[in-house]
Amino acid sequence: MPPETSSAADSAGRTARLGAPEPSSEDQALLAAVLAKDRKAAAEFVARYADAVYAYVSRRLAPRADLVEDVVQDVFLVALQKLATFAGQSSVVGWLLGIARHKVEDVYRARLREPDPLPDEDDMPSARPAVTPNLDDLIDAARAEEKTRQILERLPVAYSAALQWRYWEKQSVREMAAQTGKTEKAIERLLARARTSFRRLWEAS
Amino acid sequence: MTDERFFTRLAEKTDAVSGAADRAPARLKSRLYSALVAEQAAAGPLRSLPATKAAGHPLCVFEHVLHVVPNERIVSMNPCRVCHARVLAEHFESPPIYWPHCPYVDFQRR
Repeated sequence: MPPETSSAADSAGRTARLGAPEPSSEDQALLAAVLAKDRKAAAEFVARYADAVYAYVSRRLAPRADLVEDVVQDVFLVALQKLATFAGQSSVVGWLLGIARHKVEDVYRARLREPDPLPDEDDMPSARPAVTPNLDDLIDAARAEEKTRQILERLPVAYSAALQWRYWEKQSVREMAAQTGKTEKAIERLLARARTSFRRLWEAS
Repeated sequence: MTDERFFTRLAEKTDAVSGAADRAPARLKSRLYSALVAEQAAAGPLRSLPATKAAGHPLCVFEHVLHVVPNERIVSMNPCRVCHARVLAEHFESPPIYWPHCPYVDFQRR
């Protein structure tokens, strides 16, 4: 999927909605000034779009907050390199989030490829057996978001990356397998263990 | 609720949440600006300071001093590279820098 498509922005959730379908004339003037190497335009470019890119990357890379700033910087440097070829078929935010999505997927790919032995279920933080979560637990979105973040921090990095990639990025199992060199069965097994661990912690907290 | 539905719904719910943590730190914005301008400067001269001013962008006090120098190389250089405001802004969230029209100061305010 090309980074400029609106689906990449859609997957970025709330931040994607900041952008109009196409760049405004004001945005286009700003991009032209950045291309002309106007330093003040570069400052405005950062001021205007850094929050959206940061919000997306920090949510997708939780709990690895240490990687967020480097990834955001990579996104802006890639955007600068590709600015001359930006066709304006999506909003600037959507375009930037598309680049960010690829950078985040690079991190997920690396995590799932790491020869990091996953713990046995018995080694996971103690919790009650998994049961069907109460729907009411999902009503308060802010609480759910905080709880989700805390649980992702406690899971092995491969589990949290797999869940985020599959459900928050809406990536197919087939594509995850292709991008990591694993079989679909292996990805399914990983996801099953990740879901079980997540739900145990969800119910326990 | 199945696993698939639980996680699909959870992703939708949590993506809709906004918060103060969604704002990029001013320190990061400073780093981004420095990196972009450094990248552009490495590939050739920046738009000159007189041209920047003519385009309607006010200059900081240091840029203002440089922009009258009758030397194309100097008016196209990147004075932020050697400015202490940059160093402070890249390392501290609320550094003691106050010059008008300095991008690093502006990042603290936005």
